[in-house]
Amino acid sequence: MVTGYGPLQRVLRVWLPVGFFMLVALLPFYWMAIASLKPNSELYNPNISSLIVYHPTLKHYVDLLTQTGFLRWTWNTMLVSVISTAISLVLGSMLAYPLARMRFAGASLMAMAVAAVYLVPQPLLFLPLADIINRLHLGNTLTSVILTYPTMLVPFCAWLLLGYFKTVPKDLEEAARIDGASRLQTMRRIFLPLCTPGFISAGIFAFTLSQNEFLYALIFLTKSSVRTVPVGVISELIRGDVFYWGQLMAGALLGSIPVAIIYSFFVEHYVAGLTSGAVKG
Amino acid sequence: MGNGTRRDFLKITAATAGAAALPWRAQAASKSITLLHESSFIPAFDAYMKNTIAPLYEKTTGVKVNYELTSVGSLPTRVSTITETGSGADLTMDILLTPFLYDEKLADLSDIAEEVGKKQGGWYDAAKEAAVVKGKWKALPFANIGQLMNWRTDWFAEIGVKKFPDTWEELYEAGKKLKAKGHPFGFELGHGFGDNHGWMYPLLWSYGGHEVEADGKTVSIDSSETAAAIDFCRKFFQDTMMEDCLGWTDVSNNKSWMAQQISCTNNAESILYIAKRDFPDIGKVTDQAMNPQGPKGRFHFMNSISHSVFNFSPAKEEARAFLKWLMTTNALGDWYNSADSYYQPLLHGYDKAPMWNVEPRNIPYRDALATAHLPGWPAPASPKLAQSVAKYVVVDMFAKAAGGAKTPDVIKTAQAQLKQIYSA
Amino acid sequence: MTIRTEPLAGLAQRAPRGWSLSTWLDRESVFSWLMMSLPILFLAGFVGYPFFYGILLSLENRPVAQPGTFIGLKNFITDFHDPIFWQVAINTFVYTGAATLLKMVGGLGLALAMNQNFRMKNLVRAFLLLPFIVPTVLSTVAWMWMLDPAFSVVNRLLIELGVPPPGPSWLGNPILAMCSIIVINTWRGLPFYGITLLAGLQTVPPELYEAATIDGASGWQRFRFVTLPLLKPIIMIVTLFSVIFTFADFQLVYVLTHGGPQNATQLFATYAFDIGMSAGQLGLGASVALAMLPALGILIVAMTLYMRRA
Repeated sequence: MVTGYGPLQRVLRVWLPVGFFMLVALLPFYWMAIASLKPNSELYNPNISSLIVYHPTLKHYVDLLTQTGFLRWTWNTMLVSVISTAISLVLGSMLAYPLARMRFAGASLMAMAVAAVYLVPQPLLFLPLADIINRLHLGNTLTSVILTYPTMLVPFCAWLLLGYFKTVPKDLEEAARIDGASRLQTMRRIFLPLCTPGFISAGIFAFTLSQNEFLYALIFLTKSSVRTVPVGVISELIRGDVFYWGQLMAGALLGSIPVAIIYSFFVEHYVAGLTSGAVKG
Repeated sequence: MGNGTRRDFLKITAATAGAAALPWRAQAASKSITLLHESSFIPAFDAYMKNTIAPLYEKTTGVKVNYELTSVGSLPTRVSTITETGSGADLTMDILLTPFLYDEKLADLSDIAEEVGKKQGGWYDAAKEAAVVKGKWKALPFANIGQLMNWRTDWFAEIGVKKFPDTWEELYEAGKKLKAKGHPFGFELGHGFGDNHGWMYPLLWSYGGHEVEADGKTVSIDSSETAAAIDFCRKFFQDTMMEDCLGWTDVSNNKSWMAQQISCTNNAESILYIAKRDFPDIGKVTDQAMNPQGPKGRFHFMNSISHSVFNFSPAKEEARAFLKWLMTTNALGDWYNSADSYYQPLLHGYDKAPMWNVEPRNIPYRDALATAHLPGWPAPASPKLAQSVAKYVVVDMFAKAAGGAKTPDVIKTAQAQLKQIYSA
Repeated sequence: MTIRTEPLAGLAQRAPRGWSLSTWLDRESVFSWLMMSLPILFLAGFVGYPFFYGILLSLENRPVAQPGTFIGLKNFITDFHDPIFWQVAINTFVYTGAATLLKMVGGLGLALAMNQNFRMKNLVRAFLLLPFIVPTVLSTVAWMWMLDPAFSVVNRLLIELGVPPPGPSWLGNPILAMCSIIVINTWRGLPFYGITLLAGLQTVPPELYEAATIDGASGWQRFRFVTLPLLKPIIMIVTLFSVIFTFADFQLVYVLTHGGPQNATQLFATYAFDIGMSAGQLGLGASVALAMLPALGILIVAMTLYMRRA
């Protein structure tokens, strides 16, 4: 940590670089906001500045919310993300606890296998998975994505939780074991409640990844009523070869807000979880 | 719309009520069929089926028609799921090459096709190209969504051109002058789905170039005709267009038109439609024309829409009956009317239909039908052809040359790709 | 948090003698494997099975809606002779390499800049994460508009500085198009790198810096000999994730250019998608997707070795 600089030094060392990163990070969002407020006549006019809106209008937002399935898509996305995250946290901790605490034959092999699973990226699996989903007659159901999202989330949650679990002191569990608790009871009643920060950070990351998922949703969800926000916005805010740019930008912004809000509350935990996982893992 | 449609509507009701006494009344059983369609560019078109045609059919025959929509671009994925699982819809809309990809799961409609042809003035040749798979009609062609030249009459007038240029060379000359005046052309050369094919395949054909011969086996892209088309494309791009066109997708030229950056492009009716609705000043100076001709003729890209029945559908007979009713009664004309000639019928019986009088600027779309072909023509359509389209063989060949690559090189690459696709 | 031992004490009294189910269940190996059985089953079913099925698909000629016929390695031979396949491979490696490098360097810079005390630091940190947490396709749509030469601020600026209008074509020129997707991917992934490295920086004990300063080390030397070595584990892990994500990227290209211009931005994932979904050739598409695996494997092994040695 560096402290004790004069004001000029402060500007150079802190505000200039930080300001630069802020500008780069936030410019596209500013653009989205401005574009979503511009009436079509301004939007398509290349002769005026694209960074200023002269006659702002809320028409695009209104149209988005009333004429498209945006609200439905948002609900779908939240539902899918929450359930997938829950499933992934449960399965992830079921994988991570034995690997963190138990000694048994095959432990290191198992750890490597979990890491290997993470190496299998989505685009590798989407064709065979599409076939499987079709055969299970789960096409165009939210179940299809709720079942397939954890495939990318569980290995990550397992890895993150593993790192976190290792940092939890063992004394409480040992005390419980001495008192005669079974391993299951120890895990459920003693250990897991201690790991809330780890769950929060893994959960947030999993939630974010779910929100962001596009490929599986594109292939499995073709009915408007079951679509998630990413697929809905890209597929349905176009008619033929005309993009509804204003609505697209409005949708992009509105689609980002819930995630951003959740993040602002939990960013501490997110970072803490990453640290313990990454540094000690 | 207006009086004409109301009168037509009354005519349908009367005719159908009368006819209902005959064959269709026989199916008294209350069943339902699902018709899958891609969301139309014209909302009124979808509304008309849902609110007018489907209820009418149900009243007449007792069979309920569920009109299900999927978003633009999602139809192939949806049909794929349906054919793989064997359920989900009874009838579907086909686009372009889908009858050929799924033909084993589609019912034979040859008998209905013959009847429709007889009743409605005969099919265009292009229609047969679109729907006949291995000698059988696996789809009933519904319409073409034409891709034609859109041009700014005011800017062309400034350089003294009052009628749209007739040949590619004349268009090129006009383009050079217009680019110099700050109104370049804007043709798509990127990885879209319609506005690139709409002019590139016709360009190739109009110089006499072919990907694969009519036997469906001989790769013949390597020819002097192809080279001539490529050389033209290179100078056409470099002297009349903006560099950005190399990366354009289907939405780009629409955006550019409304931003008044380009004076000519190849597009479906969407530009004129949106211009008239949202930017009337631009709409007034927008006109449409057939593709220019090359040394070997004038050609157009066929973007056909058809209807097929899934042969695994439990309501196959009802589905066929519906299709027959749709295509042989006045319901067809009324459905076409609801879309302002966005869909060009592939039946000669509609050549003089009143729908063409609504917007005379759309008439070239009708005239283009006589010279319209599926991509890959003269080879018959097949899954191999679908692979060539999906891999953008022809598009990239032209685009690479436009970007500066040498003609023999791009032909070599295209030939290697085609040989590999057609030999497998 | 206090532990209530009463219920547990009760358990102890009920503990049976000799072999019993509960004792057996409590053995480390038994407990572990039972506990892991559900997740293992899930992963085996939804990752393992599709993975091997994907391998089978790649060995078949499998057009959509038709049964598959076994053809051995023919799909891979087709890919081998497909000029586009090799361009796709090069694109994916270049894209992944350049973006990862930029993210690593940029992320380190961000972490160093943020590793200082100033007001509103937490708010800034939350804002900086936005590009990463917002759904990619949504921000990419905004970029589509921003990169249109007619509307782009950068082009506007360049034209003011004398560049002839309309200025560079960010999505039309093949080289610039590749640069564009690299930049957008960097924009999206840099916060993840930066915030994670920042967390790592904050675990470096200040005494090490003080000791180094006392020994006469300059700022740069402190960075090189104290900070970097301690950060290595984190850098390695974050880079690993980043490489996997970027190599298999689909959304960005699908929305922005769909592989154009002329396949300059076509990646493994988007090419496999076009072949599998647009052309309906599921077997061939699977073979292109599988081609990612050895490439990915090589990348990861190379990276791990490099990190171990350095």
